[in-house]
Amino acid sequence: MTGRQGGRPGPIRRHSVKEDVEREVRSHLALRGEELERSGWTAADARVEAERLFGDRTAIEHECRKITESRDRAVRRWEMWQGVIQDVVYALRNLRRSPGFALTSLVTLAMGIGANAAIFSVTYSVLLRPLPYEAPDQLVDFLETGNRGGRMQVAWANYVDWEREARSFDGLAAYTVGRSTVIGADRPLRTSVASVSGDFWTVFRLAPVTGRFLTPDEHTPAGAPSIVVGHSLWQNELNGAPIEDITLEVSGRRAQVVGVAPPDFDFPGGAEVWAAAEPHGNTSRTSHNWRVVGRLNGSTTVDAAEQELDAMTKRIVQDEADADPDFLAAGVAATPLRETLVGASRTPLLLLFGAAGLVLLVACTNLASTLLARGTSRARELAIRSSLGAGRSRVVRQLLTESLVLALAGGAAGVGVAMMVTRVLRSVGPATLPRIDELAVDVRVLLFATVVAAVSTLLFGLYPALRLTRGDAEAALSGGRGNSLGHRGPVWRILVGTEVALALVLLVGSGLMVRSVQSLLDQETGFDGSDVATTELALSRLKYESGQDHARWYEGLLAELSATPGIRSAGLMSEIPGGGSLPNGRIELDGDLSKTGIAGYVVASPEAFDALDIPLIRGRFFGPQDGPDDAHVVLVSQGFAEATWPGEDPIGKQVTSGGMDDFWEQRIFATVVGVVGDVRMRHVATEPYPTIYWAYRQRPFRLQFGAEVVAEAEGGNAASLIGAVRTTVERLDADVPVDVVPHQAVIDRALASQRFMTMLLGAFSIIGLLLAAVGIYGVVAYSVARRRREMGIRVALGAQPSSVGAMVVRSSMRLVLGGIVVGLVGAVFGARVLESQLYEVEPGDPLTLFGVTAVLLGTALLASWLPARAGTRTDPMITMRAE
Amino acid sequence: MAGRPLDLLRGTLDVLILKTLSNGPLHGYGVSRSIRDRTRETLSIEEGALYPALRRLEKRGLVSAEWGTTDTGREAKFYALTPSGEAELADGVRDWHRYVEAMGAVLGHPSR
Repeated sequence: MTGRQGGRPGPIRRHSVKEDVEREVRSHLALRGEELERSGWTAADARVEAERLFGDRTAIEHECRKITESRDRAVRRWEMWQGVIQDVVYALRNLRRSPGFALTSLVTLAMGIGANAAIFSVTYSVLLRPLPYEAPDQLVDFLETGNRGGRMQVAWANYVDWEREARSFDGLAAYTVGRSTVIGADRPLRTSVASVSGDFWTVFRLAPVTGRFLTPDEHTPAGAPSIVVGHSLWQNELNGAPIEDITLEVSGRRAQVVGVAPPDFDFPGGAEVWAAAEPHGNTSRTSHNWRVVGRLNGSTTVDAAEQELDAMTKRIVQDEADADPDFLAAGVAATPLRETLVGASRTPLLLLFGAAGLVLLVACTNLASTLLARGTSRARELAIRSSLGAGRSRVVRQLLTESLVLALAGGAAGVGVAMMVTRVLRSVGPATLPRIDELAVDVRVLLFATVVAAVSTLLFGLYPALRLTRGDAEAALSGGRGNSLGHRGPVWRILVGTEVALALVLLVGSGLMVRSVQSLLDQETGFDGSDVATTELALSRLKYESGQDHARWYEGLLAELSATPGIRSAGLMSEIPGGGSLPNGRIELDGDLSKTGIAGYVVASPEAFDALDIPLIRGRFFGPQDGPDDAHVVLVSQGFAEATWPGEDPIGKQVTSGGMDDFWEQRIFATVVGVVGDVRMRHVATEPYPTIYWAYRQRPFRLQFGAEVVAEAEGGNAASLIGAVRTTVERLDADVPVDVVPHQAVIDRALASQRFMTMLLGAFSIIGLLLAAVGIYGVVAYSVARRRREMGIRVALGAQPSSVGAMVVRSSMRLVLGGIVVGLVGAVFGARVLESQLYEVEPGDPLTLFGVTAVLLGTALLASWLPARAGTRTDPMITMRAE
Repeated sequence: MAGRPLDLLRGTLDVLILKTLSNGPLHGYGVSRSIRDRTRETLSIEEGALYPALRRLEKRGLVSAEWGTTDTGREAKFYALTPSGEAELADGVRDWHRYVEAMGAVLGHPSR
């Protein structure tokens, strides 16, 4: 009895058909010759005559061969499918017989494959997917380099020279982007508005959905204000109305909409309005406010383009002997545009990809040990099959089919998991990752999942399959419950140990991230916004023409808010602490225009310091006496005071605002009246920057571009103020876009990428931990089942069931401890790759290592103890009779 | 009956072979000789057609083949009718008679 049914032809080899046909023809000729001889032909003549009568022997033989070979192929195909179907049916039947095993394996695989497919989708859409522009590799981003190293944006005058002279490009465009208020749609909007130079649209080689893009003559001061709007803005806020009917107030001008950008165009990221950049004869080579993107002509490389612009820039700045060299460009740095867009996401994504890989490894290890355990308990069945004549390859194939069926089912379930995870990522990710809004599980991801499934099949299917067929049949048969594959065998030790080690590495990684986020949150930021609601406001610059108009409106708003029940104090600040930005510039000191320094520039009302709990260290805050017509006063941060006037009393010192507001030309010195605590303005993880605070009623210029209004809640619940602040703003002016959030949301936004990373790593490490626990549980449970007789005897002979259980747990924990030691070593080295993502936590942080080891030990103990207890609880007599 | 040898009508070779094998397994040469003898040489089978036909029948599972020895001690491949071959033969014979009836109704029946 082979695996085949009787009557089917044995193995068929191609050349045997040829032989068969020739033999048959020879036999025919011989029989015909025989008959001819009987009727009187000589033997020789008979042979010739028989051949003649037969005709074209080669052609006939060839035709016969073709027929039989095609039959053989059909038979082989049929047999193969028969075998596959048989194997699959058998595998399904087997899996149904052990639903626990099937479910564990399926969940394990789904987690491993799902995590990988999800992270692959993210990696693909962020890092690998080509930019949605024609020939995207020709798009290059340019920045200038400074004389003290570092990079800065490009000076307009430099760009003009590049654009005129450079040979490397088919187009070179300058652009800048900022948030601005847009009025004229159904509701006032606060969105990103880009200013772009004439070549911008040529560089991207785009066609408008409707209308046209900006023409070069619109890029002159005389040009009529025209704008291009984004497709979704047009659809959602302008109801897709005919563009010639739409004018919008943007950046203080009423502009005609002349065109709509294509739906997927998102450059610079987030921009929804594109206005013509107006050079207004800017000849400064020291104010660096532009970014430059170029399209290389077909024959130029990124390096060559960089060299051309670099050389050109070095030549240009030689003529600028008067300028401060610190503010002149020293050279040019080129980066492929794609790199600029996604470069920062690369490390975190690759780390997550690595973590997902570890999860898959744990999953595969888990499956290998589960399959091995299962295979061992099936050793008898397989031994019988094999001794009845099933070939080794046949048994291996059977086992591999079982793995493959599992892997495919797991792959399908994994795709389901991936789709769920992807949906979550799409809702969480945008704050963190560029281009993630287009994230979807696509065909490539399915392909990837399938490959992962197939590879894992081989990984976990092949070993047990070979192990089981390595001539162990006899032992398995004769030994009965013998130990042919050994629950104490080294393979299991390695598998369980590996799982534990991998899980530990994952846990350490996520533990470090958690500690990192914790230490970010625990930073001494210099302010407390926990009870503060905040909103970024910007008024129409057509309705409110001067800075003073803006200041008066805010003054009225703050008065209304302060009188609102539930609001303890309300103030304004031109930047929100912890929120990401802080403009800075050169200033003059001590009434001496040649004495300069650099300081952050913030315009504020005194109540803002109160609301945000920024302490006054010396002197006084602004007061009612500091009106627009009074002598100008400032507050300085402690850091600024100590750095600028070490050992002196800063009160009474004099500073200017440099080029930061419209008092620049007048060089009006303001007097320092107070020193306030240092504040982490840009980011909770960024050291405080030396800063000067100006009284908003005296320096209202900045307010025209927006201000943050903060309100402190009386009961401490910032969210409770959202409605009140919003309605007050809308009542005072319905054309002001208003979005009120608790200040904590600003901080969360700044920490989004760390949180994202922490969340995913955390999820992966929990999956890893659970899988390892399942693996330990499975092995212990199996081992208990095998040793039930031995344990029964021990209990029958008087041993305490608990001490027998303890013995099982001890032997399992020895494996776990081994894994932990290896894992700790791996984690200490592996965590170094995380270093760039960590904040004030060392990769070898002892608290993390200790903590996760404890968690892992506890889990492993539980996973060992549960099955051990279950095993020793059964009546010894029952188990012994079962033998 | 003498006269010029007739060309075999298309599709009739298979049923002739099946009929010939219905008396017991035969090798290819035997099939060819048996048909020649029975039709008193009116029908002669091209060997170039016979062997491919046998293999096609084998491919369709209507006949099975096995190597054996002839009375004269020569080795030869013997073909035998399978159950589905027998069914096919019955169908073929019935179809043939309907064909002859139909042709006869038009051309007139031969006088015996």
